[in-house]
Amino acid sequence: MSATLFLQQIINGISLGSLYALIAIGYTMVYGILRLINFAHGDLLMVAAYAAIYEISLFSLPWFFAFPLAIIATGAVGILLDRVAYRPLRQAPRISLLISAIGASFLMENLALVLIGGVPKPFPRPHFFSRVIEVGNLHILVLTIYSPVITLLLVMGLLYIVFKTRAGKAMRAASLDFEATRLMGINLDRIIALTFLLGSSLAAAGGIMWAMKYPQINPFMGVLPGLKAFIAAVIGGIGNIVGAVLGGFLLGLCEILIVALLPNLAEYRDAFAFLILIGVLLFRPTGIMGEPLT
Amino acid sequence: MSDKFKSRLNVASLFLLFGLLFLFNRYGSGYQIRILNNIGVFITLAVSYNLINGVCGLLHLGPNGFIAIGAYTSALLSMTPAEKQLNFILGQVIWPLSVIHVPFVVSLIAAGIAAAFFAFLISFPVLRVRGDYLAIVTLGFGEVVRVLCNAGERVTNGPLGLKGLYPHTNLWWSWGVATLAVVVIQRLIDSNYGLAMKAIREDEDAARAMGVNPFRSLMLAFLISAFFSGIAGGLLAHLITTISPALFTFFLTFNLLIMIVVGGLGSTTGAIIGAVLFSWGGEALRIVEQPMEIGSFTIPGIPGMRMVIFSLVLMLVILFASKGIMGRNELSWDYLESKFARFRGTKTPQ
Amino acid sequence: MNPFFQMRHVTRRFGGLEAVGDFSITLERGELVGLIGPNGAGKTTTFNMMTGMLRPTAGDIIWKGENITRLPPHLITAKGIARTFQNIKLFSDMSVVENIMVSCHYSIDSSFLAAMLGLPKHKREEKRIREHSLKCLEEAGLAHLASERAQNLPYGLQRKLEIVRAIATRPGMLLLDEPVAGMNPTEKIELSAFIRRIREKSGITILLIEHDMKFVMNICQRIRVMNYGRSIAEGTPDEISSNPEVISAYLGDTPHAQD
Repeated sequence: MSATLFLQQIINGISLGSLYALIAIGYTMVYGILRLINFAHGDLLMVAAYAAIYEISLFSLPWFFAFPLAIIATGAVGILLDRVAYRPLRQAPRISLLISAIGASFLMENLALVLIGGVPKPFPRPHFFSRVIEVGNLHILVLTIYSPVITLLLVMGLLYIVFKTRAGKAMRAASLDFEATRLMGINLDRIIALTFLLGSSLAAAGGIMWAMKYPQINPFMGVLPGLKAFIAAVIGGIGNIVGAVLGGFLLGLCEILIVALLPNLAEYRDAFAFLILIGVLLFRPTGIMGEPLT
Repeated sequence: MSDKFKSRLNVASLFLLFGLLFLFNRYGSGYQIRILNNIGVFITLAVSYNLINGVCGLLHLGPNGFIAIGAYTSALLSMTPAEKQLNFILGQVIWPLSVIHVPFVVSLIAAGIAAAFFAFLISFPVLRVRGDYLAIVTLGFGEVVRVLCNAGERVTNGPLGLKGLYPHTNLWWSWGVATLAVVVIQRLIDSNYGLAMKAIREDEDAARAMGVNPFRSLMLAFLISAFFSGIAGGLLAHLITTISPALFTFFLTFNLLIMIVVGGLGSTTGAIIGAVLFSWGGEALRIVEQPMEIGSFTIPGIPGMRMVIFSLVLMLVILFASKGIMGRNELSWDYLESKFARFRGTKTPQ
Repeated sequence: MNPFFQMRHVTRRFGGLEAVGDFSITLERGELVGLIGPNGAGKTTTFNMMTGMLRPTAGDIIWKGENITRLPPHLITAKGIARTFQNIKLFSDMSVVENIMVSCHYSIDSSFLAAMLGLPKHKREEKRIREHSLKCLEEAGLAHLASERAQNLPYGLQRKLEIVRAIATRPGMLLLDEPVAGMNPTEKIELSAFIRRIREKSGITILLIEHDMKFVMNICQRIRVMNYGRSIAEGTPDEISSNPEVISAYLGDTPHAQD
């Protein structure tokens, strides 16, 4: 394979990885505090994408209003999800929470199916993201470059919130010791709602960029990316935000490169993510940023 | 109530059951028979799934993988070489599958063994972890199986799947296997082996301290569950006569989860009730997806509404009635006796 | 002569923290030894290492001449060391007799196939296990509660049940972690007598952790004291109760130390 093609694939991998990173952060933050795998997290991609579509088509909003609005709306959906499906089960056994998460996920997907229909809708990609840059022999969609940049900006913003604000401190405390944080007089439900808001908003941003990248959207579009983003979070060390970002980029790169280097195995593309997951869980379950098990 | 009397009651019930099946087989409509077959297969699936999730307390999210393995194994072995030739239009199926052709019962047993073998292989990574990690790893394995079925065209015919399977599955098969599964699995649960599994569910460290080897006990449960799931997969394949990888997604796992949670996680009776409710409910709810005429109004059918209702039911159960219908209890002759005695105003003899 | 049970220079570190340091102990057959020390002294960590729940960072553990340092807990139990826990870890949703029957699992003869097929051999063995378990309960005065859910028992009886469950594994050595914690004085006396009866009947070796000094002094032949993960004293109850180091470890060096 030529050097140009290889470089192209690296760029594609980083771009894809940036989307996984954004989505993975939401998983890792919720897991860090609630020890819950939010199965419904991936479906937020779908919510954001449809929200954006309807804002643009029904209300003729320009994209720079529609996209942030969709992100906020999805953030609100995230808070609602916690309120309805997880908050009542704070004291319940973990298996109940997981089942509730799975149920919520299926509910969202099928509700969308019923209300919107299963026919894939095209996503209106704005011109701003549609230009193609030519560098030598490389043809790169400008979105491909914007994605990692936007991701890094958002991640920096998040890290600021988590490490430099009081709310962020409360979030970190809650992930270390749930009960003790409550005993310190901190309103845990509010902190958890904030966690869901932040994680869901990031996922929404990822969802909109995903929709621009793969412009056919349907009610089940969030399933596979969601699952892979979760794997990325595990690879990076579940509960660790930087780990989630690292894991996301790593997974995106691996996925693109494996298919590029071994085109015969392209059909097994999705299975690779799971095999990587199984490998990580076997040999280093705490992930890249986690403590090695003694 | 003496054990001997209970045995007699059990035998009598079996006669009753198979008598009913005989009547349905003779006089029932095609529709009724199909539903009954569905229920039978789902009972086997639900009861074997309950063994892992309910009795052992593990959140296993990959039964779809075992069912797929069973379905494909059974289908590939029972199809004649000619039928395979018709199906594999993209490229001939690999040897020896191209020439092999066995009776249905052999293909079922092979299906069970194949699924159990796969379960044996993955026990080693899967049982090193617990909780959420185990959930995700098993989910991953289920997905890997599906992807392999999709991609392995020379073996499984890829996304095209296998069509034209001979409808071997009848009421005797589906309910015969269901009865066998229920009896055998319940015996295991009632035995000391089952106690060890429950102990692991209650407190794994304490179980270890009392001499229980969690890996051995859980692997046993895993293998037996996979074995029956594989056989049920074979039955399913020869019931709907067409299989493809799209049939064995996480959606199938989700359906099984609904059955055992609504029925009562940990109860075999609950799993049976869940399977019946789900199959019957699924059929009954089909009307929601068809247009309905009420007087002069036509309410349009809403496709996908069934799943919305199922998801809602699951969530409502887990939020407000997490023990399900039976909790961890079983329906037993002793229980019925005490209810009957109370009804008659007498006390049960102690 | 080969000591029955021996821990040799066992150390356990968690990252930078040394929970147990260079700890050695020898137990002879039939002894009743107490392990005491302030909270955080490393006593339960030591128990966890003896039973295979934690692996020592350094050192060996020898049981009846065999090195059991790296064995998993269920094998150590099969070899004859049983334990109870500091916080009650009964199988709450199971009945009292079922809790005991679990202890018979490791020595079961009939295979799972025999169980699934309902073979007479298996049925006989199940009967034997149930009878043995009921007998264990009878000897402890708990037989009338056999079908009761374990979590429904009053606290004192739950603690007792844990001990019966451990004994049902037919151990050569029994490790009791704070057996009388949270009990009232009557219950403590009763449990004291119960432990004595166990020893008389089976000659079992017992090592127990406790904070109740009266209980420990009353029942133990020999006492080992730990502080900050290390041994600081060993001797008879009389020797220990007058040992200045032990006193300062428990009470601190301040003149206002409480009783």
